[in-house]
Amino acid sequence: MMEKLYLVARIADTRVALRSRAINSVVTVGTPVEVPAAPPHVAGLFALRSRVFTLIDPHVVIGLPAVAVAPGQRVIVVEVAEHGYALLADEIEDVCFIDAPETRIAGKLLPGWARVADAMIEHDGASLLVVDPSNFITLPALKAA
Amino acid sequence: MVQPQFLGRTGTAMDDLLNDFLAETAEILAEAGGAIVAWEADPADRAQLDAIFRLVHTIKGSSGFLALPRVTALSHAAEDALDQVRRGNRAANAALVTGVLGIVDRLNDLCAALGQDGAEPAGDDRDVIGALSGQGAAGDASFEAAGAPLRRDDDFGAEMQSWRSIRVPLPLLDSVMTGVTDIVLARNEFGRLLRESGADPSLVASFDRLSDSIAGMRQSVSQMRMQRIDKLFAPLPRIVRDLAHELGKKIAFQTSGGEVELDREMMENIRDPLIHIVRNAIDHGIEPLEDRVAAGKDITATISVSARQSGNQIEIAIRDDGRGLSPDALVAKAIASRIMSAAEARALGSREKLDLIFRPGFSTAAKITAISGRGVGMDIVKANVEKIGGVVELRNDEGRGLTILLRVPMTLTIISGLMVRAAGQYFAIPRGAVREILLEGGDTVRIDRVGGGELATVRGEQYPLLRLETMLGRGRHHGDDVDDRALVIVRPGQGQSYALSVAAIHDHEELVIKPAAPMIMATGLYAGTTLPDNGRPVLLLDVQGLLAAAAIDANEAGRSHDRSMEAETEAAAARNAAQLLLFRDLNARVRGVRLSVIERVEEVPASALFESAGRVQARIGDDIFPVHAATLPEGEGTLKLLRLYDGRAVLCYPIAEVIDIVRLPDAVQPSVEPGLIAGVTLVGGEPVELIDPFWLMEQYAGEAPAPVLRQPLCRLAEDHDGWGDNFLAPILRGAGYRVISGKAMSDEVPDVLLCIAGEGDACAHDEGDVPVIRLRASVAAAGPGDETVYRYDRQALLEAMRRSLGGTVG
Repeated sequence: MMEKLYLVARIADTRVALRSRAINSVVTVGTPVEVPAAPPHVAGLFALRSRVFTLIDPHVVIGLPAVAVAPGQRVIVVEVAEHGYALLADEIEDVCFIDAPETRIAGKLLPGWARVADAMIEHDGASLLVVDPSNFITLPALKAA
Repeated sequence: MVQPQFLGRTGTAMDDLLNDFLAETAEILAEAGGAIVAWEADPADRAQLDAIFRLVHTIKGSSGFLALPRVTALSHAAEDALDQVRRGNRAANAALVTGVLGIVDRLNDLCAALGQDGAEPAGDDRDVIGALSGQGAAGDASFEAAGAPLRRDDDFGAEMQSWRSIRVPLPLLDSVMTGVTDIVLARNEFGRLLRESGADPSLVASFDRLSDSIAGMRQSVSQMRMQRIDKLFAPLPRIVRDLAHELGKKIAFQTSGGEVELDREMMENIRDPLIHIVRNAIDHGIEPLEDRVAAGKDITATISVSARQSGNQIEIAIRDDGRGLSPDALVAKAIASRIMSAAEARALGSREKLDLIFRPGFSTAAKITAISGRGVGMDIVKANVEKIGGVVELRNDEGRGLTILLRVPMTLTIISGLMVRAAGQYFAIPRGAVREILLEGGDTVRIDRVGGGELATVRGEQYPLLRLETMLGRGRHHGDDVDDRALVIVRPGQGQSYALSVAAIHDHEELVIKPAAPMIMATGLYAGTTLPDNGRPVLLLDVQGLLAAAAIDANEAGRSHDRSMEAETEAAAARNAAQLLLFRDLNARVRGVRLSVIERVEEVPASALFESAGRVQARIGDDIFPVHAATLPEGEGTLKLLRLYDGRAVLCYPIAEVIDIVRLPDAVQPSVEPGLIAGVTLVGGEPVELIDPFWLMEQYAGEAPAPVLRQPLCRLAEDHDGWGDNFLAPILRGAGYRVISGKAMSDEVPDVLLCIAGEGDACAHDEGDVPVIRLRASVAAAGPGDETVYRYDRQALLEAMRRSLGGTVG
């Protein structure tokens, strides 16, 4: 029943439901190491259990200005194409089992969100965007940015 | 009960078995190929035959268990034939070896298909089996899928050996590696906390023990990934054999250093370059038989592949004794294939000419052959080796062979890195690419701004200068001390170099390199990430990528300084080479003597030679020297004497004339007995006798202590415009005088006084007994009583000097 399991978090100032299948863990990071000349959504590198992870700032992906990484900030660790990434999260709420079906996105989203959001889902009386974490990493948007 | 072959496709346990079988068989086949070729070279080698038999037998056994009828039938046929040889029922010959190799090839094909489809493809192997049995394709090939084969006693040895090692999947090894790295990081942090807490020394000591064993474990784990380079060499004998047969060449192939270990991933990366180089050597390097005979070489050519470890690098040398590379032929070829213009080609140094073979699209063969002309050139070889941080070097001995050296790091994953700082963070540079590190403010470094770019000159060599901060689009960090700034001279590939300016040099570390995320690699500036012991990730700089990003030409060729230095070293080398003075002796024979033993060539009047005590002597100036002559030369006029000087004594050797100065040829045919003539050599095709100065000096040494060389002192007077100092003094010194000019004070009374402005007036310097020679500026003498000497009449002047000296000493 993994398909029904979502991580509810606030990312880039928006509450979203992340499909949990791609998510490894949620950890806290210290000060990341900068990567000069890298694309703007790369917030840096950090080490976790002797692996180096690339920190992604979803704000930039959505089209918002980048935010500074605060020490102790929580990040969502995901694995995409055999590389480890971590998404900066504003707030991690919960991992929950959502029985409601994913529905087509109704209404107009900001262009940034329209690119990454796959669907919508009803949870606790609120509509959440359903996002696959990998959408933050492989970015068609970035070429334009 | 499910059929075994059905299980083979679906059951996981059987999948594992099949994978194991394939991995093992691939190894066995590679090993068997080499062993069979070795056995062919020496059919009497029973041990080799037994080894091959066991290898084939192992394949047969495993395949029977997995129900692979074709594999079983093939290996059975090979085993059977080999067994006949073992029992002495059949002779080992080329046909048999070719037959067995044919089976090995077929087995390889089957295994490849098995790996892909998980099932044995249908097909007929009667052709290869028939070829082996020597009865043609129609022969009896009714080997049905054999049951469990009977064990023979000598098979158990092989089985025992395979038990000493186990197969471990690579991902498992990697996870062990990761685990150990984690432990190391945790250890470092723990150690830091322990130190900060001021812990009990006994606690620290026990932690240190733990720490040591972790270090040992880390070492063992990195060794687990290592494999003997033997595996890389295993297919080579077979390749050499087949290709040599095909081309009708005789080649002895040798490998050495097979015990050297290399990371298995690294091994994958150099397999193709190595095979390509060996194929090239056979196809292009080794001459056809008749050419070898013509060149006076052994008909059987030798190709050797050797490996050795130096530091954490492995050096693989592929050596052949073929024709080597001809720089001129390479240039002609490059021009013909429009790789460069004739004008560009002329500017190339000899090294650069050889490096032409690394140019894309360059093929040294006069025609593309089926063997190595397959579009994979040395450029690909070089690119592949450089990709893994290695270098390719050529050692060419034209006409005698070529050695290609591959130098690669021992592992892909662990490299020695130089840690540098820029823009407030650390970066790593592969140590192998670093040629030199200098302080930017040092005396040996000069930095010039040229048209917006920067240029660093280090000891006369120029490098384009890149500032790391600028390359990374960052500003300088406020905390950086300008005195710490350093230049790293980077050589990203052969023939390229540049200077990278960084805020500070940190240290060297052994680094485990992992690829960075694709979007980071896409910047082209980084080659990967690494995690040093402090646990903070560090980016590894791509030294080649930085160059590309900067869009500068870092080619060393054509840097003006480089070339002039090269020319200078060449000139110096030419100067250092022994030179030969060619002369005609009094009997009109051409002889030669090493220039370095000649002090000078003296021209004296015949009257300067006299006989005393049965020896011919010469009076030159106020010294008397022995002359190598049996009798006094006849005739009047002047005579030329070579003055040989051994540092103590002088000997004069009369000659008719000096012919030339040439480089001393390498080949000298020595004389049978020691004597005046040391040997004969050829200069310009003509035989020249070489004088033996050693023998010559020996004849005259010991008798009459060498006269003390007191050089007469000559004082220049009235030298108002410096003509005497500038024009005359060098000639006088050359003639063996010491010279002081009018103004210089000296306590010594001069032997002769030269009055330069002696025109008409009496010279003011009238120093009693000292003879005076007056010089005049006009060619014509003033009158018959004029004693002055025209100042450009060298001959007359030196003669006058000699006369006046003779007067005082005399």
